[in-house]
Amino acid sequence: MPFLAAALNVVGAIFLAHAIFSTHEHTSLHPLSPLPRDIPLELLLSLALLTTGIVLSSPPLKPIQWSHWAGKISREGPSREGYVTREGEEVLGDVDPYAYLGLEAGREGRRGFWGPREARERFLGWVKEGGEGVRLRLGSLWCEYT
Amino acid sequence: MNEERELVINPVVQTSVQHNTQVVSNIRNLTASLFGVAAGTLGLESYPGFVFYLVGTLIVSLLIFVFRAEGKPSEYFHRPLGDLWGGEVFGGLSSFVLTWTLFYGLVRA
Repeated sequence: MPFLAAALNVVGAIFLAHAIFSTHEHTSLHPLSPLPRDIPLELLLSLALLTTGIVLSSPPLKPIQWSHWAGKISREGPSREGYVTREGEEVLGDVDPYAYLGLEAGREGRRGFWGPREARERFLGWVKEGGEGVRLRLGSLWCEYT
Repeated sequence: MNEERELVINPVVQTSVQHNTQVVSNIRNLTASLFGVAAGTLGLESYPGFVFYLVGTLIVSLLIFVFRAEGKPSEYFHRPLGDLWGGEVFGGLSSFVLTWTLFYGLVRA
């Protein structure tokens, strides 16, 4: 679609310039006679191409209803602005404003929760395997005991 | 009261509203100068020129309706009649008159 819009804009601009040039030449050579029919037709054609190109090359609209907007983000992920900063970080447009709660995809929403049951099961599994080092999770840190 | 209740139940994203208004305003400004170029080159004078501009903005609204709003303007505009069909029509009028007179003077006079 961006290529089509750019092509429409370029072709429309060429036609527009040609129509304006023809009008200028015609009026300076025959100031009193009316324009031949093909010049206004070319002008209107170029106008149609350019307006379509401008509308197609404009950025897409965003839904204003919160439910539609948030649904679109959760379906398609955060929207990207299409460029990166000088540090190489991608610039994001709309992101989920409640992502910090950690409720996505069946999560419990307790960020940084230690999870003693999970740790116990992992420890028992390690004992069964007769492993060497223990990896314990303390908050968001992993501690290694050997 | 009713509208307030409606907004509490179905909240509106302000940044999206601003973004959509900005997009419509950009399209209007660009196309208004183009219509001015065409009107001046065609040698329109007085009321026909303004009628030409109004018809042109109507066509642009139709293009936005079809290509950008995908036929559902109430999903993208709070008040479709005012924000899409009538949004920024008179904001582009000054740039229309500017290029209209400029190209009339350059090409026809």
